[in-house]
Amino acid sequence: MLTLSNVKKGFGAHEIIKGISFQVEKGESFGLLGPNGAGKSTLISMICGLLPYGAGEILINGKLVGRHLKETKQIIGVVPQDIALYPTMSALDNLIFWGRMYGLSGNTAKTRAKEVLEEVGLTERAKGRIETFSGGMKRRINIGAALMHEPQLLIMDEPTVGIDPQSRNHILETVKTLNEQGMTVIYTSHYMEEVEYLCKRIAIIDDGKLIVSGTQRDLSNRLAGGRVLKLTVDSLRPSFIEQLKQLNGVEKVIVQPAEEIDVHLQSEMEIVSDVILLASRSGIAIHNMQLKEANLETLFLQLTGRSLRE
Amino acid sequence: MKKVLSICLFEIRRTFKKKSAFVLMFGMPLLFTFLFGSMFGNDTAVSFRIALVDEDQTSLSKDIIHKLMLDEMITYELVAASEAKELLANKEVQGIVRLEKGIATKLRNEEPAISFQPSPGMATAPLVKQQVNQAMQGVDVYVEAAQVGSLYFNESWESVYERLTENEGQIQVWTEQKTSTSTGNPMMGISYSSAGFSIMFVMIMMLSMTGILLEARQTGIWLRLFTTPVTRLQVMLGYFLSFFIVGWIQFFLLILLSSTLFDVNWGSPVALFLLVTALLLCVVGLGIAIAGFVKTVEQQNAIGTLVIISTCMLGGVYWPISMVPDAMQKIANFVPQTWAMEGFTTLITEGGTIGDILMPIAMLLGFAAIFLSVGLSRMKAV
Repeated sequence: MLTLSNVKKGFGAHEIIKGISFQVEKGESFGLLGPNGAGKSTLISMICGLLPYGAGEILINGKLVGRHLKETKQIIGVVPQDIALYPTMSALDNLIFWGRMYGLSGNTAKTRAKEVLEEVGLTERAKGRIETFSGGMKRRINIGAALMHEPQLLIMDEPTVGIDPQSRNHILETVKTLNEQGMTVIYTSHYMEEVEYLCKRIAIIDDGKLIVSGTQRDLSNRLAGGRVLKLTVDSLRPSFIEQLKQLNGVEKVIVQPAEEIDVHLQSEMEIVSDVILLASRSGIAIHNMQLKEANLETLFLQLTGRSLRE
Repeated sequence: MKKVLSICLFEIRRTFKKKSAFVLMFGMPLLFTFLFGSMFGNDTAVSFRIALVDEDQTSLSKDIIHKLMLDEMITYELVAASEAKELLANKEVQGIVRLEKGIATKLRNEEPAISFQPSPGMATAPLVKQQVNQAMQGVDVYVEAAQVGSLYFNESWESVYERLTENEGQIQVWTEQKTSTSTGNPMMGISYSSAGFSIMFVMIMMLSMTGILLEARQTGIWLRLFTTPVTRLQVMLGYFLSFFIVGWIQFFLLILLSSTLFDVNWGSPVALFLLVTALLLCVVGLGIAIAGFVKTVEQQNAIGTLVIISTCMLGGVYWPISMVPDAMQKIANFVPQTWAMEGFTTLITEGGTIGDILMPIAMLLGFAAIFLSVGLSRMKAV
């Protein structure tokens, strides 16, 4: 369905996307994870044909994006991060308008708009003006606008930012249903629990590079122990860091600002008591200690030394 | 084309959904027209008392006096120079018209032969000046005819002039006469305000309309449009068409309402259509150009309003341009409102035809070309 081969993009001398390659199969739900500024939105913009890419290839259904813009745009439905709707117009009018932009005739757009309103659970608010809707309802119509032409590939860029849990659940359920009905979904977010719930395959990007990709099971295997012990200490000394690295079961130690230390653990080994003992011998006071269990977030932390929400 | 029309119709619907749009489009211009029009007085009820001094005392000057006296709008009092000064000082007259000595020579050399001295602070001085000039145009026809005749008859042009004016009414002057439905009065009062405020509020409305482009950029609609199979050209055409149609609806209704409510005669409909079309192209272009240089709707409103109000002042939208100093009049040639007002004045007061307003139309189209190319290139870069 979608193939990216060594895609690069730069603005002037600064390279934003540094050679990313991955494939998304038809009917798949694919998660794109990364912190803010990782390059997710730039990558999405290039797939949608909004930005030209500097090097490499992007193919949708075998058609090169850029050369077959009209055809590739007809295949995809894009849910942008912003609520890109007309606030003074009704939900129905908004959906009909976006349907018309995808080439639907007047009557088809009207019929389809009613179906979409049902899909996103807002039939009873069809004639309500968007400006009177809650954040979650706006997000649902925002998604609905991308579904008007029944796209083969749905690209969602952070579709649940700033909404209530109820609307979030509704959106996640809608996307899951669409995917089960055969629609290919690319879902970008920095909420790893959403990606874990929706996507079978995941790619993590940071600083314009693909750090890791695979199924959730592949990534879990890579995690091994995968736990991270986060420490906040007083009077941090380099000798203490060196001694921490020597402890049995420690994979690596990353020093963060504000005298925080991330101790990445190799296995299920219990080393908390060893760390406390070492700190005590070195005359270092531990203010806070937190053990983070293995998940995508800790994997990301392990690979980049940064949190997904940074 | 369907997508262009969809964007256009959607934007028109959005515009007319706002109640405030009706106030801005029709309420405000009609209110301002009425207020300013009343300040300048009713079109037909204007009358001036002017002292007339004949320093030449020739048959030619007497003939000119005779022609000036025919004017129904101005009451002339033929007095000596000293008495004229006294009348002006006592504010018994609103100005002095002087027929200077050696008027025949001056006319032959195409030099100014008549001077006008308005009373200090006289707001309507340009109108009187315009009226005097209009009366002089009638004299010019005979002077030109006499000059041509003097070559054929081998005699002085003054004697040919005398023979021509003696037989006035019996001899058909061979100068091509312009067919005109003009009232002969200078444009002022309600007519002037109607044209001026229609221009100003159409400009303000178009500024608000072109703000849609900025709003679309701010809300993300602009980018979303380009994720659909719509081309940049289709999007721009859709928006442009909607601005143009809303502008035309506004101008058409203002013309209709001012004709009905204030008896304004806008002149030839075909010429008016062309003039308004050229003006709208120019105004939409200006709006797009401003939108191309700012980032938010608020910035556009602030900068756009400043540009519109100041250029309207300069372009003679609130008062006749002839009231401002010569230097300002020269600068005014560089603002589109000057040309639009010139076009409307020609149509309303002189009953002008398309041929008479070709220059204003050409100038407005020139401004439109500049504004649109700047605006579109800026929009492309965003």
